[in-house]
Amino acid sequence: MAKILIPTPLRQFTAKQNSVTVPGATVGEVLTALTTEYPDLRKQIFNDEGKLRSFVNVYLNDEDIRYLGKDATPAADTDTLSLVPSIAGGTPGGTN
Amino acid sequence: MIRIEAEPWAAMVAHARASYPNECCGAMLGATEGDTKIVRQAISLQNAFQGAQAARYELRPDDLLAADKAARERHMDLIGIYHSHPDCDAYFSATDLQNSCPWYSFVVLSIQKGEFHHANCFLPNFDQTEAPKEELIY
Repeated sequence: MAKILIPTPLRQFTAKQNSVTVPGATVGEVLTALTTEYPDLRKQIFNDEGKLRSFVNVYLNDEDIRYLGKDATPAADTDTLSLVPSIAGGTPGGTN
Repeated sequence: MIRIEAEPWAAMVAHARASYPNECCGAMLGATEGDTKIVRQAISLQNAFQGAQAARYELRPDDLLAADKAARERHMDLIGIYHSHPDCDAYFSATDLQNSCPWYSFVVLSIQKGEFHHANCFLPNFDQTEAPKEELIY
């Protein structure tokens, strides 16, 4: 039963809860359980192919799961998962 | 609609001016009351773009995670991201759009010749194809 911290704009899909606890032995299982219990979250996190959207990073405590075991990373009851977006930008050559 | 209180707004403008001629970036913390997002604190974050930063910015996800933790500790919410456009209008560029996230409000500050000029706020969509303006009060 890992804890998942819900980003502010996504709390409308989790009955306004800022964190939820769902079952799962791995990060992949936890994310599946999360979007099964709160199906409106699925579109926010996964694309049509069922893969994490390009801007979504998943952290297990303070570590990006890409540098751990990705979806297969074990998730314990004491672990906290966070959904953190990738954000960047800029202007073409600094001109309008 | 998003309303930025005087203190965080002053901090955002000061950050953008101090970073000139480079782009700056940061996080906005606050609360949502009805249909209005209210920014009560701004947290300046490091522009992590590897290269010339006059026309690019990049947020480290680690820093954003820390900003979200800070918001929770202060009983606030992470509600938006800001960045500056040095010597450029406050529009949402193609690069901004391609590297955006539909979860947050994006405030862009135009800094012209080192001084604040104007600002706009945008709400990018899921497909990263458009970002309509959100009414911004500061």
